[in-house]
Amino acid sequence: MTPISFNSGLSSGIYSPELRNLRPQAPKENAKGIDGGEGLDPSLAQMPGVSNLNQAQVGFDNVLGKFVNEVNSKQMAAGDAVTGLLGGKNVPLHQAMIAMEEASVSFQLMVEVRNKLLEGYQELLRMQV
Amino acid sequence: MIKLMPGLDSSAAALQAERIRLEVIGQNIANSNTTKTASGKPYERQIVKFETVLQDKLGVNSEAVPLLVKVAKIAKDTKPPKEIYQPGHPDAKPNGMVDYPNVNVHEEMADMIASSRAYEANLAAIKNARSMTLQTLAIGRR
Repeated sequence: MTPISFNSGLSSGIYSPELRNLRPQAPKENAKGIDGGEGLDPSLAQMPGVSNLNQAQVGFDNVLGKFVNEVNSKQMAAGDAVTGLLGGKNVPLHQAMIAMEEASVSFQLMVEVRNKLLEGYQELLRMQV
Repeated sequence: MIKLMPGLDSSAAALQAERIRLEVIGQNIANSNTTKTASGKPYERQIVKFETVLQDKLGVNSEAVPLLVKVAKIAKDTKPPKEIYQPGHPDAKPNGMVDYPNVNVHEEMADMIASSRAYEANLAAIKNARSMTLQTLAIGRR
């Protein structure tokens, strides 16, 4: 199936490098902006809110990867259901249809997320310095 | 597991249950004139009994756990068989009466209408869930 290879291409090809490039810089700049010096950085990093923020940023590409994997597994499940139905393996028709529909809706959600991310990235690129 | 479409599990379970009910109704109609089964008695009408089941909480991380429906039991109708006077029939009793199944075809047709309407209702619920989700996804489009 073409969508599956497309998925895996997306997860490694487009999302991750951007996120990896963006991630390390963002918290540092934040910290400097708030206290204005290097000395207070460690204590700031130990504040629960800041460290949580950091973790959330680290986790996002993981979350995205998991989501893409889940979309992939939904596509696989839909493929299995259709194969089972056409192969006469006692898969009910509605189950196959629902699996396909679920796969297509989650794929569309993934495409929307990708569009949003790319849109944000391009907006950043167009920004005047 | 990500849940994109609301109520999909209950609707899918209901579709399955209604399918079984339609199958049983078809079986009743098909056997409405069967005067002898493997047990020697005429065919007895089958009734489908539905029950709700709690979906297992694994995999569902919200507190609202959907209730599914499933076929609990396919039971026999306890109505007596219809007796019809047919002395020449191979299954006739010594007094000339033949036991016919306790199936009333008109009743089965009415049940069939109810069942297929219920199936349609569940299909409509699924379609609605799908279009709601797609419309929600369209928020991000411009």
